[in-house]
Amino acid sequence: MKNVKRILISLLAIMMLVPSVAMANGTTTVKTPGSDLRATLDQLLSEHFVLATTYMMKSYDEAPDRDAVWEKLDQNAADMTPAIASVYGEEAAKQFEEIFRGHNDYADGFVEAAKNNDEEARKMAEQEVDEFVNEFGSFLATATEGNLPEDAAKQVLAAHEEDVLKVFDHYVNEEYQQSYQAFRDGFHRMFDISEALSSAIVTQMPDKFEQTKADTPAADLRSNLNALASEHFALAVLEMQKGYNQSADYDFVTWAENEHTAEFKAAIASLYGEEGAAQFEKVWQQDHINAQSDVVTATLEEDEEARQMAEDSLMTFAEDFGAFLATATEGNLPEDAATEAVWKHEEQVLQTFDQYVSEDYAASYDTFREGYGFMFGIGETLGDAIVKQMPDQFAQDQMPEEMPDTGMGGMSDHNSTLIWTAFGLFALVSAGIVYRKKA
Amino acid sequence: MKLNWRLYFTVMGLIALFLVIYETNAWAVWTKEDTQVVRVENPQSQSAPEEKQKEILEGEFTVINKDENMNDEKVVKNEKQAEEGIIPTRIRIPSIDVDAKIESVGVLDNGEMGVPEDPLKAGWFEPGTQPGNRGNAVIAGHVDSKTGPAVFYHLDQMKKGDEFTVTGKDGKEKTYVVQKLESYPQYNSPIEKIFGSTNEKRLNLITCTGEFIRDKGGHQDRLVVYSTLKEPKETVPSPTNVQVSGAFLTWYAVREDDIAGYRVYESRDGGETFDKVASVSQHERKAYSEPKASEYEYYVTAVNKDGTESEPSTIAGE
Repeated sequence: MKNVKRILISLLAIMMLVPSVAMANGTTTVKTPGSDLRATLDQLLSEHFVLATTYMMKSYDEAPDRDAVWEKLDQNAADMTPAIASVYGEEAAKQFEEIFRGHNDYADGFVEAAKNNDEEARKMAEQEVDEFVNEFGSFLATATEGNLPEDAAKQVLAAHEEDVLKVFDHYVNEEYQQSYQAFRDGFHRMFDISEALSSAIVTQMPDKFEQTKADTPAADLRSNLNALASEHFALAVLEMQKGYNQSADYDFVTWAENEHTAEFKAAIASLYGEEGAAQFEKVWQQDHINAQSDVVTATLEEDEEARQMAEDSLMTFAEDFGAFLATATEGNLPEDAATEAVWKHEEQVLQTFDQYVSEDYAASYDTFREGYGFMFGIGETLGDAIVKQMPDQFAQDQMPEEMPDTGMGGMSDHNSTLIWTAFGLFALVSAGIVYRKKA
Repeated sequence: MKLNWRLYFTVMGLIALFLVIYETNAWAVWTKEDTQVVRVENPQSQSAPEEKQKEILEGEFTVINKDENMNDEKVVKNEKQAEEGIIPTRIRIPSIDVDAKIESVGVLDNGEMGVPEDPLKAGWFEPGTQPGNRGNAVIAGHVDSKTGPAVFYHLDQMKKGDEFTVTGKDGKEKTYVVQKLESYPQYNSPIEKIFGSTNEKRLNLITCTGEFIRDKGGHQDRLVVYSTLKEPKETVPSPTNVQVSGAFLTWYAVREDDIAGYRVYESRDGGETFDKVASVSQHERKAYSEPKASEYEYYVTAVNKDGTESEPSTIAGE
């Protein structure tokens, strides 16, 4: 009798091991092919938005750096072609490039119409945008074989074009708060578009993306961090330029930065609670946002000492923020690496600004693109550290692919392998125990 | 006859009375109402209370001319307030019926400020400040001549709040408002206070007052009417959306052309007392950084280039 009890316990133990083995299949990470695709699209699409709106503002103002911005806007479009080619091949990529790269030209139509107050020209530009939305919406639906439905594609493209125009129109009307609200909304829409598009692509080609999804909780986290980090960089560069020029919209860029800080804080709160979020906010503001503005003030006042102090502050921030991230992620993001990455970002911000001040616009926007892209590396590294820290929260496959198999067929089919496997195991294990007992 | 005598004594009595009145100068005493002149016996020992500070402290705000290339040397930093003084040629004081010409005067050999020969003219101290400008402009006039009242005879009748106008060569007018009237012993007047530099835009009227003692060189005291330039009532809007979040106090900029900057006031005792903790120039980020910001209370004011400060904003924090 005792033996039977033992045998049963052993069997239970073995049976219980089975599900845990299944769960441990592949560690939780943000670095999956599906998530990578989404991050690539995050970067290219959001950068397109930033450069398009910046170009329209600069062009309307006839700012000396407008041509440099245009060049980068065009380069961003060109950079999308290889991404498309890697998924859909050269021919589709060529078709994509024709449609997409050309649509940037409409920006000039709107700017000219606004400058000359020409309603006719405005209507023509709007019509061209409508055509682009139709053409590109169809292209995406066809390319994804309907995984991104045509209507949904067109709807989201139209919304994006509307965002760009909202930013521009409010800017022209000197309604800067609305303009920067539209900027923030439109910026975030690009990440929604990226999610929809990357999800459609990985669903269409599961093998190519190793059966990984683009919308897992881990991929969502990475994308959210991408958005927060890159928006910060875009706003910081814009804030410093506008501050240096003492543009009428300067205070509204700083307003947008404050709004962004609040959003970032909320994201940290959802991960690490209110206390951690409050701590984050202070570190983020004091020697960072404030110091970036101090760099501008020092430049305006030609105060070398103040500039040095501001740089020292940024250095302090890199250390403080690196320490914060290392502590928060419980060392999953090592402190040194974090500080190094943050400081590299600060250097890119400073370089973009300094090159802008010295009127080397081509170099400034080269640095801008580099620095912008760098933020997506931060999203990846930080996201991965957080996911590794909280595997339960970001475990993959939290949603099953198929409905559960809720019958073992025992009532209709006796040929169940599981039963026989279990029996085999049972026989083996009990045999072993009986054998040992005898010996 | 009786009637004649009565008439005679009456007339003589009246004449005598009149003479007595004339001699004692009682007439003037009666006709002159109570004055607001404050006699200051020893002005040196008494530090006059300064008017509420209005000016921008030196270097408090940096003003940057955004229309200029920043590297251009013409870019004004710490911009002085625009000088718009006049060379005064005429003064009108409605409250005491004065409408007189003004000459420019300088310093006499004996060190005194000069005064016009003509008792009906006033003299502007030309080496000093021009009316309309920052500083103490000074106009002096006689109280009387050898034969009768002169241009500033009724100066001591002026009241605080009275307005008067000086007109410049170019026809521009500057109106001043009387702040206070003080009299000093002739040889113990606060010269520095009357003529020295100030950040206010003042105009001081001087005349003689007090007992006339010929042996001692005339009137024993000097009356000074202090006034400040009446400027178009400027109200500076208070900053709005004052908020504390994390280590930041933020507010919205005041959208006016002549804002020099903002003053941040902090209270660490729950709003009992506020101290100025920062001056933020208009071209800077509208933020004040303090690690313990969430524990304190704040208000912010806007200050224009003339130094006028707005009312406090709403209080943020706690």
